[in-house]
Amino acid sequence: MGNLYHNKTAQWLVYAAFFAGLAVIPMTVDDSFLLNQLATYGVYGMLALSISLCWGFGGILNLGQGIAFGLGAYGMAMTMQMQTQDESNPIPPFMLNNSLDHLPMLWQPFQNTYIGMILAVAAPTLFCAVFGGIMFRARVSGPFFAIMTLAMLSAFYTIIIDRQPYTGGVNGLTPPSSLQFAGFEVDPYSPTAYWVVFSFLLGATVLAKLITQSSFGLVTQAIRDDSERVRFLGYSVAGYETVIYTVSGLIAAVAGCCWVMLVQYVSPAQLDVGFSLSMVIWAAIGGRYSLLGSIIGAFIIQGAQSYLGDAFLATWLLILGGFFIVVVRFLPNGLASLVESGLGLFATKRGPASAEPNGDAKPIPAE
Amino acid sequence: MDLGSLLNALILGVSIASIWLIAALGLTIIYGTAGVINMAHGEFIMLGAYSSYMLQFYLGVPYLLCLPASFVIVALVGLALERGLIRYLYNRPLDTLLATYGVSLVLMQGVRLIFGSDPKYLAVPEIFQSNVMLGSASISTFRIVVLGVTALLVFALWLLFYKTRFGVQVRAVMQNKEMAASFGINSGRIYMMTFALGAGLAGVAGALFGVLAIVLPTMGASYVVQAFLMVVVGGGSLAGSVVASGVTGEMQSVFAFFTNDTFARFIIFVLIVVFLRFRPQGLFAQAGARR
Repeated sequence: MGNLYHNKTAQWLVYAAFFAGLAVIPMTVDDSFLLNQLATYGVYGMLALSISLCWGFGGILNLGQGIAFGLGAYGMAMTMQMQTQDESNPIPPFMLNNSLDHLPMLWQPFQNTYIGMILAVAAPTLFCAVFGGIMFRARVSGPFFAIMTLAMLSAFYTIIIDRQPYTGGVNGLTPPSSLQFAGFEVDPYSPTAYWVVFSFLLGATVLAKLITQSSFGLVTQAIRDDSERVRFLGYSVAGYETVIYTVSGLIAAVAGCCWVMLVQYVSPAQLDVGFSLSMVIWAAIGGRYSLLGSIIGAFIIQGAQSYLGDAFLATWLLILGGFFIVVVRFLPNGLASLVESGLGLFATKRGPASAEPNGDAKPIPAE
Repeated sequence: MDLGSLLNALILGVSIASIWLIAALGLTIIYGTAGVINMAHGEFIMLGAYSSYMLQFYLGVPYLLCLPASFVIVALVGLALERGLIRYLYNRPLDTLLATYGVSLVLMQGVRLIFGSDPKYLAVPEIFQSNVMLGSASISTFRIVVLGVTALLVFALWLLFYKTRFGVQVRAVMQNKEMAASFGINSGRIYMMTFALGAGLAGVAGALFGVLAIVLPTMGASYVVQAFLMVVVGGGSLAGSVVASGVTGEMQSVFAFFTNDTFARFIIFVLIVVFLRFRPQGLFAQAGARR
């Protein structure tokens, strides 16, 4: 009997149970404000998932996931902003305030909702593919890549603040009405919005899980453990790294779109270094080698921040920081590794116990 | 465009470079020696500023004495951190990055709890508050003080690393830890000393930045990314950081002269990324084994 934690069927069952649990929520929660808040946790879950995929399974520590998230969010906010503009009033008000008398080129594709939404996801994904491709082919890895993503994130952060007439500057964008999609209004406080986020989280999780279980995922995990050996075996390390980084960016971009749909707001704060680092904290605390663990990590930390944060307003960051230090120091694989070793304990106990009744002295061969 | 104001920008660039360099000095030592990515470096800078504030406000210590005192205080904090946490993580470089980020959260919030979020100010002697004319450029005296302190520290570090027994040991550990250990060098002790030294340098930087800008619990965050970039571009060596800060400081100032500060910073970030694409090991790569 092996460790149940590594059993694929058991893993899929746990994932199914988890999502079944999430699916029950909108039926039991009446408070639309709470539902909206829970849906934003789903967005954080997606972000933690994307970090886990890229860092836990690809070995690429990405401190700039805020780029993909933020660009996706800006794309979505631009689309939603343009939905409220019409023929007589074609220019968003903040542009008029910045004395811009025509719609900039950058904004024109967003006049069409479909093109806008496709761009909101495609642009960050393309950025990740290009940036990742360039970096990984130069064999930038490990801490260096982390610093580079940090630099890139800061670059985007500063340019968004600087180009105020095009981006709304520090104030960001606040689309005045909720998303219209295919003649249908997605009220951010309705169960519909929750279901949208739920489906994207489910889709992203299944996609990520399938990737990690495929032979592609095995190679990325081998790269994580020893990239030189994989390179000597003839694999294109840079190619694998680029793909996993891009998929992770795609998930984050979708998360960004969902986030703006829920909160109708985006600002440079979404590209802040602190926010990107907190995504890494979620994955690290939940367990970066476990997709589900990372999602739960995000739920726990953000949930605790919302509820304990009010009670321990002044000491919350102190608690979070301290907790994070303890996890990194003593539990480098996060809370999920507790489950793993717990189940492992169970598995090894089970072995001798089942051997006892027939009085067989021979040791049971390990699986 | 007149030549005078461009000259002005160049002189200002030297000042910017010295600010970036002094922020990056401690990080260079820590990263260059132990390979530790210290995300709490910005908070060490902040602690330096608050140490000076405390000494000045409660004990009435004159400002110039606050500089060495901040060095000692923050070095002690760094020493405690190294002994209590970092030394367990040397073989896990990415985890040092995460753990020190946790430390930075704790330090930032801890200081906010003790001192509050309202800005504090450091008082400096009268003579530092004036401006001086350098040709056509006017520059505040204090920026010259920063430049002087930076130059002094770089010189002192050069002496320490290349002219003393301790420096030889540090460089030996940097190149090959095991080999150095087999020659009787206690690498754990070297790491401890360099971490404390790096933290102390951040403390001095904080005492200076507290005058240039206001003292806030969050002030460290604005320096840490730039400091990292200087170290990475420089390749982790002292000379590398000096050149990297010099070049980027000048570029920042000149670009800012043609556009504005924020856009100049954007160009710098992008250029650094492009540069590191072609030279990931930085300007001056470390001799010997790379971790």
